[in-house]
Amino acid sequence: MPVIEPVPADEITDKTLKKYLEQAEDLRVPDPLFVQIMAHSPSHANAVLDAMFESLAKGNVDPCLKEIIRIRLARQAKDPYFSGLRLKIAEDAGLTEERIDAGCGDFETSDAFTDAEKWALRYAHLMFTEPKKVNQAFYDEGKQYWSEAEIMELGTLIAYHYGFDVWMRTLKALPLTAA
Amino acid sequence: MGTDPEKVDEAVYAELAKHYTTAEIVELGAYVAFNIGYHTFFGSLDFYPMFTPDGRLVSQEESRAIYGEKVDSHLRGAMARAEKSAEAASSGEAAE
Repeated sequence: MPVIEPVPADEITDKTLKKYLEQAEDLRVPDPLFVQIMAHSPSHANAVLDAMFESLAKGNVDPCLKEIIRIRLARQAKDPYFSGLRLKIAEDAGLTEERIDAGCGDFETSDAFTDAEKWALRYAHLMFTEPKKVNQAFYDEGKQYWSEAEIMELGTLIAYHYGFDVWMRTLKALPLTAA
Repeated sequence: MGTDPEKVDEAVYAELAKHYTTAEIVELGAYVAFNIGYHTFFGSLDFYPMFTPDGRLVSQEESRAIYGEKVDSHLRGAMARAEKSAEAASSGEAAE
């Protein structure tokens, strides 16, 4: 059981939150457990979940690449909860565990990724290990591959998910079902 | 959470529970989580506040000089640098 006990699903009365609970069952990241923990504070839950679903399921960047980045960050944060979840839309698009592991490992020497994908993976890797290297020159290189809108999409994804990975790690939460 | 997450254990949550409701602990946790990621990301984008501590609209170059590239207390630097910068701007205007 996580440090903060989840609110039982049948006790969630907020309509928007109930919709997010259903969405969690469909998308699988986060799973309903996160929604039920956040449900202690419904107004915050709705804002957090809106941003989380937006970052994963919408935008221009390939959801499979975003899913690899999300898992890489969760592993970096040593968070078994978000590390153990798998986004349904990425799975349906053909994302394999082998490709996830390649992106979470030494992607620089892998031939499984394009230069654009490598830049995005490097962006996620450096942000919380060597943020000083994410400088003007780094962004200039990124603009060779990605539009500014896509760079913002990647940046907000990276910023948003890492903090929640750390938090869920402290709550000792685990996925409701095996990935 | 931001530096030693392994220290945020059951004991920390038990102590928090003496002072805050579960809803407030969730609110604090989400707030901290949000800020951990975004400050690092925003730092990499190299932008500075639009206004000085006393509310004067300044350029990004002037703002960088006022707030500095290192994180600092307003009391230990930014306010004094903003006053100096305003004086320099007004003496420049007087000379024109």
